Amino acid sequence: MSWEDFMKNRFFAGIAAIAVMSLPVFANPALADITIGVTIPTTGPGAALGIPLKNSIELWPKEIAGEKLKVILLDDAGDPSIATTNARRFANDDKVDVMMGSALTPAAIGAAGVAAEVGVPHFAISPVPPPVAKGKWTFVLPQYSSVLAKRMFTRMKQDGVKRVSFIGFADSYGQQWVEELKNTGKEYGLEVVADERYARADTSVSGQVLKAIAAKPDAVFIGASGTGAALPQIGVRERGFTGPVYVVSGAVTFEFLRIAGKAVENTIFSSGPIMVAEDQPDDSPTKAEGLAYLKAYEGKFGPNSRTQFGSHVWDAMVILKKAVPVALQKAKPGTSEFRAALRDAIESSGPYNATHGVFQFTPQDHYGLDQRGAVLLTAKDGKFQLLPEKK
Amino acid sequence: MMANKHLMPGIAAIALLAVFPLLPVPPFWITLANNIGLASLVAIGLVLLTGVGGLTSFGQAAFCGFGAYTTAVLTTAYGFSPWVTLPLSLLVGAAVAVPLGLMTVRLSGHYLPLGTIAWGLAIYYLFGRIELLGRYDGITGIPPLNIAGYPFLSGQSIFYVIWVFVILTAIGAQNLLDSRTGRGIRALRGGGQAAEAFGVNIIRAKLIVFIFAAIVAALSGWLYAHMQRSVNSTPFGLNMGIEYMLMAVVGGSGYIWGAIFGSAFVLIVKEILQRVMPELVGTGINVEMVVFGVLLVAILQLARNGLWPMVARLMPPKGQLQIPTSVRKLAKRTLAPAGSPLIKVDRARKAFGGLVAVSDVSFEVKAGQIVGLIGPNGAGKSTTFNLITGIASLTSGSVSYQGQPLTGNSPREIAKHGIARTFQHAKILPDMSVLENVALGAHLRGSAGVLRSFLRMDREEEATLLAEAAYQLDRVGLGQYRDRPAGDLALGQIRILEIARALAADPTILLLDEPAAGLRHGEKQELAALLNKLRQEGVSVLLVEHDMGFVMGLVDHLVVLDFGTLIAEGRPAEVRRHPAVVAAYLGGVA
Amino acid sequence: MHLDATIATFLIQDGLTNGAVYALLGLAIVLVFSVTRVIFIPQGEFVAYGALTLATLDTGNVPGTPKLLLCFGVAAFLLDLWSWRRDLKVDALLRNIALNLGLPLLIYGAVLYLAPLQLPSVVRVLITVSIIAPMGLYVYRIAYRPLADASVLVLLITSVGVHLAMLGLGLIFFGPEGLRAAPLHDGSFTMGPLLVTAQSVLIYLMTILIMIALYFFFEKTLLGKALRATAVNRLGARLVGVRTQLTGVTAFVLAATIAALSGVLMGPITTIYYDTGFLIGLKGFVAAILGGMGSFPVTAIAAIGVGMVESFASFFASNYKEIIVFGLIVPVLIWLSIGAIHHEEE
Repeated sequence: MSWEDFMKNRFFAGIAAIAVMSLPVFANPALADITIGVTIPTTGPGAALGIPLKNSIELWPKEIAGEKLKVILLDDAGDPSIATTNARRFANDDKVDVMMGSALTPAAIGAAGVAAEVGVPHFAISPVPPPVAKGKWTFVLPQYSSVLAKRMFTRMKQDGVKRVSFIGFADSYGQQWVEELKNTGKEYGLEVVADERYARADTSVSGQVLKAIAAKPDAVFIGASGTGAALPQIGVRERGFTGPVYVVSGAVTFEFLRIAGKAVENTIFSSGPIMVAEDQPDDSPTKAEGLAYLKAYEGKFGPNSRTQFGSHVWDAMVILKKAVPVALQKAKPGTSEFRAALRDAIESSGPYNATHGVFQFTPQDHYGLDQRGAVLLTAKDGKFQLLPEKK
Repeated sequence: MMANKHLMPGIAAIALLAVFPLLPVPPFWITLANNIGLASLVAIGLVLLTGVGGLTSFGQAAFCGFGAYTTAVLTTAYGFSPWVTLPLSLLVGAAVAVPLGLMTVRLSGHYLPLGTIAWGLAIYYLFGRIELLGRYDGITGIPPLNIAGYPFLSGQSIFYVIWVFVILTAIGAQNLLDSRTGRGIRALRGGGQAAEAFGVNIIRAKLIVFIFAAIVAALSGWLYAHMQRSVNSTPFGLNMGIEYMLMAVVGGSGYIWGAIFGSAFVLIVKEILQRVMPELVGTGINVEMVVFGVLLVAILQLARNGLWPMVARLMPPKGQLQIPTSVRKLAKRTLAPAGSPLIKVDRARKAFGGLVAVSDVSFEVKAGQIVGLIGPNGAGKSTTFNLITGIASLTSGSVSYQGQPLTGNSPREIAKHGIARTFQHAKILPDMSVLENVALGAHLRGSAGVLRSFLRMDREEEATLLAEAAYQLDRVGLGQYRDRPAGDLALGQIRILEIARALAADPTILLLDEPAAGLRHGEKQELAALLNKLRQEGVSVLLVEHDMGFVMGLVDHLVVLDFGTLIAEGRPAEVRRHPAVVAAYLGGVA
Repeated sequence: MHLDATIATFLIQDGLTNGAVYALLGLAIVLVFSVTRVIFIPQGEFVAYGALTLATLDTGNVPGTPKLLLCFGVAAFLLDLWSWRRDLKVDALLRNIALNLGLPLLIYGAVLYLAPLQLPSVVRVLITVSIIAPMGLYVYRIAYRPLADASVLVLLITSVGVHLAMLGLGLIFFGPEGLRAAPLHDGSFTMGPLLVTAQSVLIYLMTILIMIALYFFFEKTLLGKALRATAVNRLGARLVGVRTQLTGVTAFVLAATIAALSGVLMGPITTIYYDTGFLIGLKGFVAAILGGMGSFPVTAIAAIGVGMVESFASFFASNYKEIIVFGLIVPVLIWLSIGAIHHEEE
């Protein structure tokens, strides 16, 4: 085949065109002042987490402390390989100053590995387990289950719950909660009498629900997220279980309420304070940022469009707004000195009053949140409300 | 020594790969190239398994998992060196592949892909449930590869490791296909009947490609673990299993280099989409997956054999295959003395349920004879033929060869006696060259196995086999078509090709199933001349034929069947006058 | 854990309900495969589209699917124009415009008008089916018709492409979170310890009805016989004058209709996500294969079997459910393979 034939061949011409078009894509980006790389699942099983995050990123300011912000957002579909590849690319090609992601734990672990390797401050948008959070460069934005668990278990003890049936996701998130329940729960006199798992996309959880109820529990504990938690919630009520149901923070979304409908009576949710920012007392440190976020988010995406997940990246920005000026005094963005300075500044510039709680990072603690990051809620008329404290 | 012209693109590609990381390319290109390399390994395995061997597997990602988890556990929990875990990872992959393969290769038709989906998914879910493997979160802190204390942390350094493995695997796979064992594997696609009739062990051939594909997938997994340095079950599920298949098919599932090309194409397109699409349509919606799906369908519509054939057209053509003339001669069987009994069919009976297709038929073929088996449609000729060649099993009675019973033997075992056959519906491999098709016939006359072929240590034997095939082609007059794909031949030539293939087996007896069907008059005369010549050389022939004229002038002995029973036998002239034969043939018409 | 009679009956009921849905999918997959040799992975997406469309209609909003239908129609129209670029006939063009542009426009307009009216559930179901069913037509035209004589493997990978595209479109049009439709009928009655909802009875009835309808279609109608003939022998069917393209279209439209009905039946009993389709489609595929990709009754029985195994596995070892379900398939396949007459592929 001669060159002329080659060019005449429409197919190859097409490929050549695509290749030429893509050249600028592969070229090094012009260095913006501060570059942030974000890898989140906007498709795949974690899309319900990734899409509100993506929306929230659109609310980010254009600059911090006079430095322009360049954001590179990539989809990882929840796959740790892709998340790792994305993170490598942020580090090596885009020379990011900060990276964030991912929203599913295994993918977040992958990104954390790269961050540690190349030395880039990294915000995990998933409650990664302690060995990963101990990493020098990784900071965790969502509440680790233990923060939420303490408040939840205290309440369960007050409610007189002893025997608990767990129904949760067969994934990292569900596993984290069942371990919390089995280990920490013991201190609160809780005994796990059934440990049932399902997948988000399962069309039926009847078997799990039957077994959970057959164990004669005082309460059912649901460790799942988003609308995925609705199936067991509806299931246990359909099967006539009238005791209390406790649901973890991941499920605290309006979509969940919409689907679960009447089945959420007598259900208690643990949550970050963002879902009820309006109801918090005025002196609450999380109220101001919470309201600001909700105003921006729901102003853009419609009333009641808030989720549990989106504001984590808003919180990241709260942290950066305080830490970046400190780091800027030491070095220019785009340098390894700046990244190191920023990392130190994140550890030293707290506390940060954010939407999900008050972050106080220390070299020993990269979770940073305390009990102010956890509230208990009930649902009424399709809305979440703060649960009154039990005396 | 002059370099072959057709090797030039390959050498150029390898040279390009060697300098690629040194070029001032964005680091991400290296990462992408590494991912392409990892996917290529699995896709190469799939080309052999699916494209060549005809076994569709969606479970290959599970083998990557075995490779990756093996090294992850051993290096993190037991402090093994990564290089020590390499053979162990491959071994685990192979060890799992043996029982899975034994099950899988027995699955027929549509059960096969589902079977691979089923075990693929079961293994994937299992990975995520095992405490030792870190459950859902997987294993982190896997050490990088290192040589003399120098760790391969950067994308550039592991690039070379990955691509050396890819190229070695590709060349090895190419070697394997271009060999005696490879011909057996390539013959699986047509259903394997022809291969089996020439002594290829079908189950073994399938198992070989299955294990090969598993080992290269495990290799990919091992490399993956040390590149990512963390492992979790997500990349080993059905999605990736499907994606590997997709890469192989887009590249062209019959071509080893297509596997690499397909992997590169898919991964690069995905990358471009992820970067370009948000700029085109905004970040509000995610259209990458949609565009990728549409693109995939469009590519298959434009190039259903994949993209590699298009690329291959740009390459300089392969020169004519040189066959050395001064090769060792193959050992030949000593033929039985003329007139001694060769094949004896004794009261053979075949019943399908209540229907008796062959009813207690007995006859004999003596060495040096041409025997014709004739009869009207539905007389049971083909069934009798299949009983002798072992494709159908006897209900009662027996078939023996030189006094040894053949009853219950598989076609492969029957072939070992020097019984070679052709098929009524020609079973050639249209994509393989005429020469290679014939060389398949000489399968049992060679002994080189997988390893020798893979390492190219089979060349002398291979040259002998090819020389033999070329000789047989010249003998039947098809020498000029040697390097053409067999699918290019006319129907009559294909029938002759099948005879050449049977001759390459160095047969004592040829079983020909309607060899003259579809031949023109002149071709029939040539065929008759050829068969006469073979008879002079001492080769016996049993042929089933429709064309009475062709048979009458040729055979020494004629056996006539009607409704499954033998109605007459004897010399052609006698049989022609036999009242039962006349009734059977004319009665049918009148 | 102790399994008593009450729990067992519950599990059987659950397995039956899920199995019936898998059976519907399996039937459609067998139907499409036997006529066109396409392994129709996107069947699951059609089911999800059906359920999500109904759930959106329940809220009085206009779902994204009519718009999507319009896009499909335009694509089919453009492809037809391209294929006729050398030889354009007016009457064919008019027919083409009516089918590819007129029909989706009509449906789009009707949905726009009807959606906010809060019509009774039966009407919403009918609207849903009339949006989804024609998609089968366009998907066949756009993706599969040009590949009608390609190998099974190529058709399968084509299905993967269609699946990915439709999955992505589902995410765009319905969002990442799940939806649940309102039950078509709120009623329920008790049978001993068992609470039987009207919705589940509807599912059983519909599965049986569709099987009977398929039987009559294939045995009693001319088109059905043509489809069967194509299934047995494509070339032969073409030689005796059966238009294989027409049978292909029919198979796809029937499959999409069955999918829409499955979605409508499933939507109210569970939460459906944009990506739920693939998994239920996979279970339907399992049933179809166990039925040898040819037998409707065996497929239905196998589907019920899958539903049962799943139901009991989720009771006894929920964390190992998938491992049990898929692990059990392998020995069944081996057993079937030994029983099967080895026939040559392709």
